[in-house]
Order: sequence, then structure tokens, then C-alpha cells
Amino acid sequence: MSLHSENKKPSLIADKISKSFTSGLIQIQILSELSIAILPAELTLISGPSGCGKSTLLSILSGLQSPDSGTTWAEDKALSRASKRELERFRLYHTGFIFQGFNLFPALTASEQIELPLSYLGLGKAECRKRAVEALHEVGLGHRIQQRPAELSGGEKQRVAIARALAKRPQYLFADEPTSALDAASGQTVINILRQIAHQHGSTVLCVSHDHRLIQHADRVLEMEDGMIHHDWRATNPPPDHQATHSHFLAQQGAAETRRQDPLA
Amino acid sequence: MVALARKTLFREWSRFVPAILAIGFAGVLLIMQAALVLGIFGSAAIYVDATSAEIWAGYPGTQSVSLGRPVQRDLEMWLRMDPEVTAVEPMYWVDGDWRSENSRGGVSVYVTGVNADKHGLMYDKILPEHLRRQLLEPNAVIVDRSDLDSLGVSVGDDAWIDGKRVHVVAAIQGLRALGGVNVITSLQTAHILGATGVTYFVAKLKDPTQTQAVIQRMSGQATFGRYELWSASDFAWRSQQYWMMDTGAGAAVLFLAAIVFVVGAVITSQSLTAVVIASSREYATLNALGAGMNALRRVVLSQAVWIGSFGMVLGGIISTALLIAAKECDVPIGMTPMVAVICVVLIFGLAIVSGFIAMAGLLRADPAILMR
Repeated sequence: MSLHSENKKPSLIADKISKSFTSGLIQIQILSELSIAILPAELTLISGPSGCGKSTLLSILSGLQSPDSGTTWAEDKALSRASKRELERFRLYHTGFIFQGFNLFPALTASEQIELPLSYLGLGKAECRKRAVEALHEVGLGHRIQQRPAELSGGEKQRVAIARALAKRPQYLFADEPTSALDAASGQTVINILRQIAHQHGSTVLCVSHDHRLIQHADRVLEMEDGMIHHDWRATNPPPDHQATHSHFLAQQGAAETRRQDPLA
Repeated sequence: MVALARKTLFREWSRFVPAILAIGFAGVLLIMQAALVLGIFGSAAIYVDATSAEIWAGYPGTQSVSLGRPVQRDLEMWLRMDPEVTAVEPMYWVDGDWRSENSRGGVSVYVTGVNADKHGLMYDKILPEHLRRQLLEPNAVIVDRSDLDSLGVSVGDDAWIDGKRVHVVAAIQGLRALGGVNVITSLQTAHILGATGVTYFVAKLKDPTQTQAVIQRMSGQATFGRYELWSASDFAWRSQQYWMMDTGAGAAVLFLAAIVFVVGAVITSQSLTAVVIASSREYATLNALGAGMNALRRVVLSQAVWIGSFGMVLGGIISTALLIAAKECDVPIGMTPMVAVICVVLIFGLAIVSGFIAMAGLLRADPAILMR
């Protein structure tokens, strides 16, 4: 499998990983000896139908779950062999997560939602506050710092969740269906932010989605089915059946360029 | 550090109300139980507690004031020989059978014959001078006002103790007895009612700090018959302990306290667990972002401490109101700083234990659930 077209060292690697779940008496094989390498500084999208194993792959690559067999590496660290404590430390210092549900604490303001995980990094109160405000400005919520989740729209909540992941300045950003609960405009904003994080911050952004808008904006797309990767293609070299969609996307890019300069405009 | 526990508690207080109520009412049960125990068993030592004498002299091995036996009369002289002793007076104990025109059958009474003079030691904390003067009348008795009904008399009425006429000259508060009715008379009236010997001598000291020293040097003088000396506090505690432990009542009380604790912990922990589970996705997100399980456990524990604090305030307010009401209704209650501190520690312990149990709810905060 051709994994990388550029001379970048992969930041995440899965080597022959398998995962199965038991449901009653039936064992369901989710992933079967799957290997993949993810590059930094780009938005990699895993797409596929429901139940194809894409979320499981994401949770294994991010260290939230361990594979039944095979090895996962985050640069030189073997995640699949790490202890629970080591995985918590890895997640604390290197990763950010964006989930489909926003999972914000109802009692905390937008700023406090972000300050809370930062405080576990051992940062001082002032530094946490500064980073939280910066992150909220970055996602265009500079004017909603003191608002609580009940006072925010769905799109704004997801942007707070993104700012929460962003403020840690993570090396890896994992997103699970980040746009599925959002309207078109909010979804577009989130997509632009994810792409910007990858390109401007150099983070490895790995995203699971079946949202076609995201496919158009991804640097690389991994198409999954039945626990296997069937297609692995890049925006610069889309497969024939994606040419039309991609051309349409490129045509739109010029018009969207101004917006991309300021993703939250 | 963002005070997640406190902010959640204040913002979403309604979710925590059941846990706070559970702690509060467990606290009320513990406090009221302790107050009733102190009140009921404290009445076993009312004779000692209402008297300012520092030393009690009685028959060796006496377990409770009500179980005294006669001592030799000349023991009084021996006690008076100590330079530290400023006053000594006898106390007679008579178990009698009370009958009155309105009583239904006989009532067991404990008659205590005391020095009714103005400067008398016995009951000097509850018997003011004008009542002592009234006691000097022949056959005069004083009873607790809450016992008037069971004795079938009112103040001013006559009654009979072991067939001898007595006259109720007053009714006071704070004289309720355990297992009978207390009746105070003068030494002279006690003789008339059949007192055959001195049951106790009480002694007043110049310097109360010398109590143990006096007890040590005045004990073991065989010339004055069989006797034993106790400090007032020791004798009061001994009397209460006898009723609490030797009668099995204390074990029953401790058992009940344990039940209150367990029931309180179960209800509180269930309420707290429900709150933790309701936030499991948020906790899971924090865990995914690297907050360790120990950090999340600290959040739950800190919520438990807050709940404990609020519950304790609630329990304290309700208990205070109930204690005041009980006092007004002559229900025997008592409270000491030590027992109050024990209650506070138990309530906090209850909250902490509930917090530890509720931590099980964090098992649902597995970040992998967020990707399903």
C-alpha cells in the first residue's frame, strides 16, 4: 500500500492491527490486520459506511483502545504496549479530541471548559486563561467567552469543543464525526478550522466522517469497508470516481479562498 | 484549577438535593439519637450532675447512684478531718411506693433525702433557696413537673409514700429519673419515710483541682467501715455507663447508629452515583484529554465533601429546632461538645464513604464510549 507520497516521516502508524467485539455469543471482527501510516501537517479523513470500523480505528490510533493484536506507534512510542497511566500521559501532553457530541460541562463557561483540561497540564491559572481566550478567538468565539453551553448554538458548542482540543496545542488532533450534528455553515467553519490546524500548526489531524464536505477538504482520504482500507487517495490525485466531486471542489476553492484566510468569517 | 465540583454543585443544585437531604436527615437521626441517649442516660446521674460537691463517698463497687447501700455514719467525721474539705453532708436513698387519690395504682419512686438548708450541697444547681426553705416543712416533697401526671397530683396536693403522707410543695424541671420517679425531701422527711442509714456522703473542697489527691489520701481507712470515694465526674460517668452498657441499651444504640450510617451511605452514594453517571460523557471527554482517573475521583470526592457540608448545615438547623422543641416538651435530651464533634465527624465520614462508593460511576467514563 502506498502510504506517503512526500518525504515526511509518519507520525502515526498501525501495523497489522486487529480488533473484535463480542456481542452475546457472536464475535464480530471489526478490524483485520490493518496497516496504515498517517502523516503530520495534513488533514487525513477516514470515511466509510456505518459499522465499517472507522471509529474503532480512530480510537485505537489515538490510544483510547488497545488492539487485540498488532502494534500502534505514535512516532517512536508503541501505544499498544503502553500502560493505562502512560496512555493518559500521552493523551494529556500530545493529543486533542473532538467528538460528535460536544460533551461540555453545563456549569462551566466557554473559557472554563478550555481552562479545565489545561490545568491538568500543570499550567498556571493566568496561562490557562490566556490560552483559553486565544483558542476561543481562533475559533471565532472571542465574544462568547463567558457563555455557558445552554446559551450557545450547536455550532458554537462544537467550536468550544474544538477550542478545548486546540488550546493544548496538540501534536495529534482526533475528530470523530465533528460536523454530523451541525448545519451547513457551522460544518464548513469546523472543516476550515481542522484544515487550518493541520496546515498552520503542523498537527496530525485524523478525522472520521461520512460528511462529503469534509472529503472535499481533506488532504488525504482513507475509504474503509468491512474493517479494511479499500482506497487511499490524496486531494492532488483523486481516483476517477471522485474526479467530478474534486473538480467541483477546486472550482469552489477560488471563491472560498478569502473565507479560508479567515475561516470564521 | 477550575472548581468543577463546586461550580457544578451550585449551578445544578437540584441534581444534588437528594444527596444533601439524605446526608441532612442521616445527620438529624444521629444527632437526635445521641441527644436522647445523653438525655435518658444522663438522668441516671442527675443526682451527681445537679450537685456541686466534688467527692462522693458510698458503698464500695456501687455501679450507679440508684444502687447505693448504707455506709457508716462516722465516715462523715473522717471526711471532715481532711483540711481540703470545707463541707460534708449525707444523702439518704429510699425506694418507695407512691400512691395518690388520682394515681392508678402504685408508682415506684426514688426518694432522696437531702440537706435543705440554705447552703446545702445536694441539688444546689437545681434547687433555689426558696424551694429549699419549702422543703424544710415536715413531709414536704418536690418532684419533676413532667412527672405530676404519672404521680396523679398537682402542686399543693397530698400523697402517700409507703403509706406515709407527703405534701407536694413544688414541681421543678430537670429531675426526671431513669426507671422511676425522683422525689426530693429533706433529711428529716426521709427519716419519716423510712431511711435507715446514710447512702452517700458528699464533700465540697476548697480547691476542686485537689479532688484526686483528697480521694487518694482519704481512701482505704478500714476504721470507718467499707466505703469508696469517687470524684463527681467519675461517679456520674459510672452511673451512665452502667445503664448504657450493663443493660444492653448502649449496644442497641450503637447498633442503631450503625444502621443509620449504612442506610445514609447507601442513599447518599446512590444519589451521588446518579449524578456522576449523568456526567459520564463529560468525564470521559476529560479523561480522553488526559485528565487521569485519580483527578476525576478527586472531583467526585470534592462533590461529596460539599454535599456533606450542606447536609450537615441542614441537619444542624433541623436538629437544633428539634432539640429546642424537645426541651420545651420536657423530653430528656443532652449534648456535649465531644458528642457534637463525633456527630460532625460521622456525618462527614458518611459523605466521604458515599463519595468513594460513587466513584464506581466513573467506570462508565470510558473515553472509548465517545466514539461509538
